[in-house]
Amino acid sequence: MFSLYKKELQSYFYSPFAYVVGALFLFIFAFPFITGISNIDSSQYKFSFPNIFYNNFFYFILLIPILTMRTFAEERKSGTEVLLMSSPLSVFQIVTAKFLAVATLFLTMLLATLFYPIITMLTGEVVWSSLVCGYVGFYMWGLACIAVGMLMSSFTESPIIAAVLGELAMLLLIFVDNLASSAFIQSIPHVSDVLSWLSTQQRFTVFSQGIFRLGDIVFFITLSVVFLGWTIISINKRRWSRG
Amino acid sequence: MIEIKNLTKLYGSNLAVKNISFNVRDNEILGFLGPNGAGKSTTMNMVTGYLPSTSGKVIINGIDIEENPSEAKKLIGYLPEIPPVYPDMRVYEYLSFVAGIKGVSGGKRKEQIENAMERLGIKDMKKRLIRNLSKGYRQRVGFAQALLGSPKFLILDEPTVGLDPNQVMEVRKLIKDLKKDHTVILSSHILQEIQAVCDRVVIISHGEIRADDTIENLESSVGGDLTLIIKVKGNKDKVLITMGAIPGVSIPSDITYVETNVHTYTVSIAGEEARKEIISRLVTAGCEIIEVSTVKSSLEDVFVKLTTQNSGKKGLRALLDEDESEAEFNIDNDAASEEEEK
Repeated sequence: MFSLYKKELQSYFYSPFAYVVGALFLFIFAFPFITGISNIDSSQYKFSFPNIFYNNFFYFILLIPILTMRTFAEERKSGTEVLLMSSPLSVFQIVTAKFLAVATLFLTMLLATLFYPIITMLTGEVVWSSLVCGYVGFYMWGLACIAVGMLMSSFTESPIIAAVLGELAMLLLIFVDNLASSAFIQSIPHVSDVLSWLSTQQRFTVFSQGIFRLGDIVFFITLSVVFLGWTIISINKRRWSRG
Repeated sequence: MIEIKNLTKLYGSNLAVKNISFNVRDNEILGFLGPNGAGKSTTMNMVTGYLPSTSGKVIINGIDIEENPSEAKKLIGYLPEIPPVYPDMRVYEYLSFVAGIKGVSGGKRKEQIENAMERLGIKDMKKRLIRNLSKGYRQRVGFAQALLGSPKFLILDEPTVGLDPNQVMEVRKLIKDLKKDHTVILSSHILQEIQAVCDRVVIISHGEIRADDTIENLESSVGGDLTLIIKVKGNKDKVLITMGAIPGVSIPSDITYVETNVHTYTVSIAGEEARKEIISRLVTAGCEIIEVSTVKSSLEDVFVKLTTQNSGKKGLRALLDEDESEAEFNIDNDAASEEEEK
């Protein structure tokens, strides 16, 4: 399983792929950072990094499907799926290894953004509690998105379609949040309860305030596990109905 | 030993493989022969555990591939129709990755990879990106991959497709060498290939097994008849009457005009004796024999015969019986099926 993990991770770096997406990630991060800095008139200003995540959710969320689009679609397209499926690895192991590889890549990208807080730290002050929790929250939330993206990739043979499906799923995730806070839904208590339970942004807000809630962590982990499980089912299902 | 029991595969409502059973004995090379779309690849995919079967069992050395897939798959090296290579990887890197997922321990890995590369002659390509390799080399990298982990059983789906004639010879030689410590299932639609390397042949057509026997038995099953092609200078009627009088000689299936008074006759004869008789009688009758050749019925005839029959699963015995009863019409049948092939 480690071999597969290693190969998956390496495959991102063989092509300019990881570098381009990583650069884009940092770029998206840089803009609000610059505007944030330019708005500061006192050197004692406390800079809130989670705000950057929070305010630019929309952009970050659309990067995830680009990372996950190739996971299964590409294997199927190039015929290498046979190699994995006829190897002693189980589908569970294959999915796990691939998930961990994308999770590691995402972590690397996230760690690269630490560059900004470090610069801020040198000249100003950073709110550590909200920074750390914000990062943890963002990562957990990213993991769930990766699982969703992988599921989309397992549906198709074309990485492009996988990416488009992934983007749609991400938009849906954002939409659930907006829907939950809409006046109409708010007026129906039960529906609004369920929808806000599913809302990822609200949970992220809690993280960004520097608060760890066990429930939120469990929520994101459950979400990831459910989607990974679904991915396993989807791959097994394809084996049965192929042709 | 690989036991394949009542294997069936349905794609939706389309029956790709119908209730097939056969065994693969240790250290033999089994040829899996069939026209395109006969169900060869589907069967191989099921034997390797890539596709689940609709019903039936595949038992690898006593291990059921559905019940204990990871153990069973360790015993199999598979080269699918399209070599499963990653274009972005280098040859050595790729082989090392495959060794890894097959659970070859670190110490043995290097040795096994070197060995596999040596056998397939891709040592010089070690550092090349697979993307930049020609089709033949990719095929060989795919083959090398199947050898990693020293699996007891090698399943090769058309291993020589895309290779040049020299490479084809090398790969055939390699497959014969592999017989020493592996059992090989080789699928192909190239008859010469099967004839050159295989001990036993399973012929599949329309998802059903048409024959399961050694090449010699199959060849003789088409009938011990020889086909004699003889070019004679002499009056056509005289030749025909002379030949017709000999027992064991059929009416010519084909008479071709060459030039005035010279014709080529194709007749089916019962054996060597009949041939001698024809020659001596024609000479006594004052005809001049320009050319004589005999053609033995080959695996090709068996293949054409078995795969162009459209319905009904028959045991080999039944096929043999049928051949005997149809012996007289053999030539017509063959000619007809050859036309169909074209």
